[in-house]
Amino acid sequence: MAGQRWALLRPWLGAVSRLILGGVWIAAGVSKLDDLAASARAVSAYRLLPHDVATFLGGVLPFLEIALGVLLIVGLATRLCGAVSAVLLVAYIVGIASAWARGLRIDCGCFGGGGDLSAEADPGYAGEILRDVGLLVLAGFLMALPRTRYSVDSAILPAESTSGERYVANGGSEVE
Amino acid sequence: MWTTAIALAVLVIAGLIGWGVWQSQKSDSYAAPAGITDDGGKDAGVLAAGTGPVTVEVYLDFQCPVCKQFEASVGPTIDQLVAQQKIKLVWHPLGFLDSLSTTDYSTRSASAAGCASDGGKLKSYGDALFAQQPPEGGPGLSDDTLIQIGETVGLTQPSFAQCVRDGKYGNWVAHVNDLAARRGVNGTPTVFVNGTQLTDRTPAGLTAAVNAAG
Repeated sequence: MAGQRWALLRPWLGAVSRLILGGVWIAAGVSKLDDLAASARAVSAYRLLPHDVATFLGGVLPFLEIALGVLLIVGLATRLCGAVSAVLLVAYIVGIASAWARGLRIDCGCFGGGGDLSAEADPGYAGEILRDVGLLVLAGFLMALPRTRYSVDSAILPAESTSGERYVANGGSEVE
Repeated sequence: MWTTAIALAVLVIAGLIGWGVWQSQKSDSYAAPAGITDDGGKDAGVLAAGTGPVTVEVYLDFQCPVCKQFEASVGPTIDQLVAQQKIKLVWHPLGFLDSLSTTDYSTRSASAAGCASDGGKLKSYGDALFAQQPPEGGPGLSDDTLIQIGETVGLTQPSFAQCVRDGKYGNWVAHVNDLAARRGVNGTPTVFVNGTQLTDRTPAGLTAAVNAAG
């Protein structure tokens, strides 16, 4: 039965989503850590926010990304982390799309770096947006179905068991 | 719900830590090299050459290949305009590209340029740095090499070597970076002629802009 297979598969897909999304957040945050001034300039280079707001975000975002990544990987408050991830990703997609639409030629600063590109360098906006949309799908999946394998959530909230049978019995829903 | 509260607290604390670290890394005080041009906080470049009426400002990074190309193509025109006493050349040496070397060469070389300005040889030293620009992604030039390059342009005094080794003007470079970003300069080279950004960064484009401004 397809529904049964899905019920068995779902927590595992969720766990994989958590690991991918969390891993990307940690990589993105860590890559910006050693030059927070560059991170601030990267945000500033989008020319969307007042300079002081941009530099504030540039200093804060790397740490937020790392914390979000760790929470996702351990699986604590997965629904909230999926929602925060989705908000960040939508903001990044809007930022990149807006830079593209305005004809800016910038390094997105997604994994460190940032700033204007030279005339011959390819900004690669399409690929970046595609990647972020892919991650947004994972974030949406975790928001909708936050109960996943190997997560703190399922370990400390026994009311909603992670066993496959339970999911089948509930017809895929998480309420009793 | 309490897991949500914990996670929210973790995220907020991470953000606060980030803010704290970022604030502590920013330094408001800096040692200023000789020849600094201060026009009321908007600007902190150094006078590289010239006494003319038109101010040509160049935001540059000694690690930036396009800056080296600019130096090669437009440098002779700049030298000519300086010799004709048409322009005053102001450099803003930036440390934007620290991530492109393993030793923060971008900031170290810009700081060394400040040392060269103290020695009165900023322009010839900067030209020499572009001539010996290290490739991206490598270790950059060592402090010893930066000092040796200084010797080739006549910066033989021990104070120059000490200044390079101490990275004396690193904080100043950070300040120049900050003011540049504040002015909307997000890449190098960026050129201003009497405060107006130059879009045509060719010898003809620069000459035309200088003539129009003068």
